Amino acid sequence: MSTLLNISGLNWKVLNKTILQDINFTVSKGEVIGIIGPNGAGKTSLLRCIINQANILSSINTSGSVQLKNRPITQFSSREIAQHFALVMQKNDSIFALSVQDVMKMGLLPHKSLFSLDSDYDKSQIELALSKVGLSHALESLFNQLSGGEQQRVLIARALVQASQILILDEPTNHLDVYYQHQVLQLVNKLNITVIMTVHDLNLASLYCQRLLLLDKGQLICDGSPQEVLAPEQLSNIFGLPCQQNIDAITGATQVSFYLQDNRIQNSTSPEPLSE
Amino acid sequence: MNKVSTRLFALAILVILSVLAAITFGPADIDSSQLISCLVGSCQNQIADIVIWQVRIPRVLVALVAGMGLAIAGAILQNTTRNPLADPYLFGIVSGAGLGATIANISLADNLTIALPLAAFLGALFSVIIVVFIAKVLQRMEQLLLAGVAVSFMLASITQFILYFGEPFATNRVIFWLMGSLARVEMSNFYVIASILVIAIITVLALHRQIDALLLGDESAASLGVDVDKLRLLMLGICAALTATIVAYCGGIGFVGLMIPHIVRQLIGVTTLKLIIGSALIGAIFLIWVDVIARSSLPHAEIPIGIITSALGSIFFLFIMYRSRANT
Repeated sequence: MSTLLNISGLNWKVLNKTILQDINFTVSKGEVIGIIGPNGAGKTSLLRCIINQANILSSINTSGSVQLKNRPITQFSSREIAQHFALVMQKNDSIFALSVQDVMKMGLLPHKSLFSLDSDYDKSQIELALSKVGLSHALESLFNQLSGGEQQRVLIARALVQASQILILDEPTNHLDVYYQHQVLQLVNKLNITVIMTVHDLNLASLYCQRLLLLDKGQLICDGSPQEVLAPEQLSNIFGLPCQQNIDAITGATQVSFYLQDNRIQNSTSPEPLSE
Repeated sequence: MNKVSTRLFALAILVILSVLAAITFGPADIDSSQLISCLVGSCQNQIADIVIWQVRIPRVLVALVAGMGLAIAGAILQNTTRNPLADPYLFGIVSGAGLGATIANISLADNLTIALPLAAFLGALFSVIIVVFIAKVLQRMEQLLLAGVAVSFMLASITQFILYFGEPFATNRVIFWLMGSLARVEMSNFYVIASILVIAIITVLALHRQIDALLLGDESAASLGVDVDKLRLLMLGICAALTATIVAYCGGIGFVGLMIPHIVRQLIGVTTLKLIIGSALIGAIFLIWVDVIARSSLPHAEIPIGIITSALGSIFFLFIMYRSRANT
């Protein structure tokens, strides 16, 4: 697999507070990578650096490099970055009654010139992307009237219209119930494009990501397969709770459960799990 | 033709019919055959020819472009700030123009034909520069509107202070100017407003996708390659130039920029291309007919146009509030 992204020696400090410290990793084409860690670990900050949001890498507070296809990301214009990365955020609201079609058309922007109108090809791409996320019927629906899961799927479809090589998702399952959490992540997993996402739920990350990056206090603690990264001792140290690793009987995925000492069943060796 | 195109086409026809119909209104007694012969250039009555070509046509055409301009400025501001209550007047543009006009009126006894609109224009630009400067210092472009309200009150208080100590005749002139009127407009005013309007429309049509991207939030727009602050500043500059020019010639005509885009969103759509074209057409129809009411509802006097738009606007506002209450 060819290397798409190369992050080396990435540091970000604001007023003596370390946000990211000496982050090094590479991303190959087609990988689905989950960034995990406790609140404030630097997960979203890392995503912001990867796409050089608000020209953050040119700031005096940051050092190190992010290279896309062996070219520093700082040399890319914001339009070029939008042609390579599609970002799906936690929550998108509009005060105006935008239709799903209106939202989808936004994905065409990085590839359109001034004054351009929509072509038949654009319309077919929008319909194709919506069919991939199972929302062909929703083209004329109002975006704000869709469920949280459907909105996330529309935004993923918009990312497909954007035709970027790397899909960046920031907590895509926040605000979603269990059904939609699995639906959205399964969809992302099946897209066959490179994905980097922050995920709060360790078990969901393990189930749907080939590779995990564990962050804590701005440092990359571990980079590897879910089984390697979700090592109980490591997670116990970071999250401050005893942890146990299991293999899920149905999916075969590595799963972890946390528990408080008080939750343990008296006189029992098996702890009462406190699901992540 | 789809539903939206059909509606836009119907509105365009209505604009043309409104222009033609509005020319027939006025105190001079000109019948339709005289009107048609004057319009095609074979006028027998010289007075009718002068009334039509030097009074009525300039007035209707200025109403056309002023209505378009004010509605478009409101639509642009509402979409770029994602605030359905954004209006050029809330950015202190009229207060700035009022201050400029007041200073010109008080300090200059004559040459007001050129000095008044010029001073109003400079005053409007001055207020926008202060608003943008404050928002820049605060480093929060989304606070533009709040900064605009503050600056608006500040400039209005300075205007009132000057008027309080000013000469009564000049004070009267400023107060009447602030009420808005198309009674003294000329063909040259139409050309100036139309030129700025064309520049504004071309710029917005070029950047309509960027403005649309803002509708789902600044972060979303930035991820699609939009330089959010630059785009917002450019749009604010265009709205300021457009509104300042209109206010300079026509005085204070409030609520058009607030009302019309609301109606267009219901009838045509919310994305920038539809909103701008729809606002231009409905804004033009609205102001042409409001001006007809202003000049023909009283037998020997005119009602200042700003009074009518403000009255209609406040009723419209209450209607919107009632409807949103009914929907919740």
